[in-house]
Amino acid sequence: MKSFTDLFKQLWQRLGSMSLAIVLLMVLSIASVIGTVLLQNQDQGDYLQQFGPLWYWVFRSLGLFDMYHTWWFLSILGFLMLSLSACLWRNVPKMLKEMRGRKGTVNDRSLSRLELKEEWQLEGDLSAESLQEALKKRLYGWEFKATEENGAHFLRADKGRFHKTGYISVHAAILIVLVGGFLSVQYGFRGNMAVPEGKMENTITFLKGTETAALDMPFDIRCNSFVIDFFPTGAPKEFRSNLTIIDEGKEVLTSDIIVNEPLFYKGVYIYQASFGDGGSDVSLKLYHLDGSQRTRTVKTGVYKTWTDKQTGTSIEVTDFRPYNVENIAENFGEKKFQDIGPSIEYVMRSPDFKPVKIKAYMNPYIDANGNNQGSWLMVSMSGDAKDYESVSLGLDLTNPQEWKLFHAFFNRMSELQGTRDEQANMQAFKQAMTDVFGENRPEGFQHMAVRTIQAVQMLPKLPWHVIPMLEDYGHVYYTGLQLAQDPGMNTVWVGSGILVIGLCIMFYMPHRKLWLVIRPESGKTHITLAGLTNRNQLSFKETFNDLFIQIDEDFKNQSGKG
Amino acid sequence: MTAITAESSLLGNMNQGRWALLRFYAYIGLSLGIAGMAMYGADGYNEDAFLYQILSMKGLIWGGTGALIGAGFAATLSAMKPSMLLGRVAPNTVPWLDGMLLMVVFSVIAAQFEPAASQISYEDQSNLIAGEIIMAMNVVFIFSAVAYIAYLFAPEAFIGRIATGSAWFAVYAGGTALLLRWHESYLFDMDMGHAPVSNLYEVFILLFMITATVYLSFERRYQAKGLGAFVMVLVSAGVFFGIWLDSVGQADIKPLVPALQSYWMKIHVPMNFVGYGAFAVACGAGMAYLVRHAMEARGSSSRMLNVFPSLEQLDQLAYKSVAVGFPAFTLATILGAAWAAEAWGGYWSWDPKETWALIVWLVYGAYLHARVSHGWHGKALAWWAVAGFLVTVFCFLGVNMYLSGLHSYGRLT
Repeated sequence: MKSFTDLFKQLWQRLGSMSLAIVLLMVLSIASVIGTVLLQNQDQGDYLQQFGPLWYWVFRSLGLFDMYHTWWFLSILGFLMLSLSACLWRNVPKMLKEMRGRKGTVNDRSLSRLELKEEWQLEGDLSAESLQEALKKRLYGWEFKATEENGAHFLRADKGRFHKTGYISVHAAILIVLVGGFLSVQYGFRGNMAVPEGKMENTITFLKGTETAALDMPFDIRCNSFVIDFFPTGAPKEFRSNLTIIDEGKEVLTSDIIVNEPLFYKGVYIYQASFGDGGSDVSLKLYHLDGSQRTRTVKTGVYKTWTDKQTGTSIEVTDFRPYNVENIAENFGEKKFQDIGPSIEYVMRSPDFKPVKIKAYMNPYIDANGNNQGSWLMVSMSGDAKDYESVSLGLDLTNPQEWKLFHAFFNRMSELQGTRDEQANMQAFKQAMTDVFGENRPEGFQHMAVRTIQAVQMLPKLPWHVIPMLEDYGHVYYTGLQLAQDPGMNTVWVGSGILVIGLCIMFYMPHRKLWLVIRPESGKTHITLAGLTNRNQLSFKETFNDLFIQIDEDFKNQSGKG
Repeated sequence: MTAITAESSLLGNMNQGRWALLRFYAYIGLSLGIAGMAMYGADGYNEDAFLYQILSMKGLIWGGTGALIGAGFAATLSAMKPSMLLGRVAPNTVPWLDGMLLMVVFSVIAAQFEPAASQISYEDQSNLIAGEIIMAMNVVFIFSAVAYIAYLFAPEAFIGRIATGSAWFAVYAGGTALLLRWHESYLFDMDMGHAPVSNLYEVFILLFMITATVYLSFERRYQAKGLGAFVMVLVSAGVFFGIWLDSVGQADIKPLVPALQSYWMKIHVPMNFVGYGAFAVACGAGMAYLVRHAMEARGSSSRMLNVFPSLEQLDQLAYKSVAVGFPAFTLATILGAAWAAEAWGGYWSWDPKETWALIVWLVYGAYLHARVSHGWHGKALAWWAVAGFLVTVFCFLGVNMYLSGLHSYGRLT
């Protein structure tokens, strides 16, 4: 039985020891590195692809993909808390006792060990009181305690006597912060909610380990509007949502939120976190590439898929943007930002070609010199946005006559039966112009000619049945909100406050002690001044030397008078 | 605040006793006056133009009245209780505040030389003069580093004075340039204006200033001039990085992304750099310790040893810098958590930057524990101070360069 208590005692001793603290701090920091190098909470498929099956399973079983919530990481934190408690338990009573008791006297042995020490041997039997007064006058903000023992007068001066409370509060504060963190994780929640403009929502979703979980809020949120403001440079300046909170069917509160200024209702903070398309209505104009000059308009919406039964082509609209601020400067390094208008993003699928991701701009591309370069698309064969390549269609499809002109030109060309010289081309184009416009040629038809010739080279190469272009839209945003309830937060702030105050006490209010020992010795007076500090020796040495110089003068004056 | 003023007894007296106390309270009154203007003034607090509210006639009246009341308060108080004049807080704080005020004055003067409004464009910022001042700072910092190294090999008082003087010059140039950049950010468009701590380039300048100032204040108090070479070499390395940032177009003033538009940025970022700067000085002291230790072990009798602080002093200086940096870094991290709670919905998200801040904090926490426990002594701790700074540099730069996360606006593009 005795050995058990001994073991326990020893364990307790070890737990509170400094070396364990150092080891724990280092282990914790090394463990934390892993989670920053390995991206946390990503898609499991991505991990599998990145590491291969073997390492994927090793990492997964160690919980490295969500490592700050694994049992082993939490146990390191728990161990740290245990060690902190043990350390406090062991040291606090000792420190409190030390702070309370102040021995006025000091024996010769301890005195001789002190590094900072000055001695005087003054003539005459000087009054201890006036010597002590001289010292007191030089020390501002110190506490004094005078004692007399065996004819010797001791004056003890203390500054920063409560320095040890610094240690206690710093260590206690870390415990408090960790407890606050535990409360947050255990009883709080944090999740996301996407509310389209004009719609209502009350469920948040969040990641729980590797799964997505949902939670109902005790109220509904309606997004009345979502607005983005821009700087003149085109960079976003402000994201603002106008929200209405609806509690038990009643509208209780309507307010704007922006990034950095959340809304607080019923213990839940509501933050502006993101935004996106809330299912805008879009009309697509499909340009058939079968030479029939046919077009038709299709009404669909973002996140919807439209299928053409005839050709088997399906178009899944994935995104819509009402503006696109791009650098249109032609020379590298120059900057000229401009909104080039709305765009739509979709994936086109068909049995006849590989799926392709397309970003189509509503407006033709107007270059920095104001020239119309025709309609254009960004095409990604892989389906990844980083593989986008721009494809110029040549024609300005917003002008229906160019589409006509293109076909007229094409027909005239085929009439020429393959004679493809400049002359023939020129003639075909002139005829096509007359077919479409009659005798009244439109302004800037030369540019139109260039575009049409480009289109003749480009369009027949496309493997698609149609080119879907954006014709019209009714734009709706969704506002991405983050909702969080955090019952541990205030505990954390209290702990943090104590931590900072404790650190300041610890580092900037060292406990400094001075002793003035006055011993009358047969007509002479023997004086010793000694000092001790537990921190910042360098500056105390300086203070001590300054004090010595001043007090030396005072004492000599007194001695001279005496 | 400069070494020159310290040597002159007249100016030295300015930083002692009654004058220091009067000024200390005047500064407190000044800040209270400006706070009062923000809260009760006719136009109230305008985040976008507060800088100009302070520098306007109204700011002068509010702040000036506050300063006068503060000084009067101090005069009365010190007459009633003369022992107050012996306190150390005022004399220790006042030179710092004087220095800041001087930087404001310099930047107001420099602002008079800005090009005319019609010449200023967001696309081409090369004609703004803060850039010129920063370039001067770069050159002088490098010159100062060279002078400090020269001082190690030729310990002439003259060279030492040049080294110290040029370092101070560079600090003031950096501060002036940063304040001027603040002003310049408003020149493009009132809405675009923001404090000059919003990108890597700006905070780098802040880091040089703080590192150099922490070192210079040690130099003054502890005559540790031999340390200068090590600290200034670190600063110069940073200066070269800053020049590179400028050359790849990272020096332009850009509008703030919405996430950064918060008063927290003005507090959180500078506080963090007090920590980083102090850790840099600790690293310099650690390196100096290791060099001196190696020289002593070889039994060297080089003249260099005379200008080096003693091993014990270097050890103490490294510790003192950590003692400055650690509480500042702790506070900065807490402020960051408070900002995160307000902007991101949680005070701690295990974001890479947050996690690395924790790692830095743990490393220096372990350093402090190791110092108090008996097993560790000078050399090991000197290595620790150097290694700790490498971790700090990774937290500051590496995270932005290699890891993604919520702090990605500090990223290099």
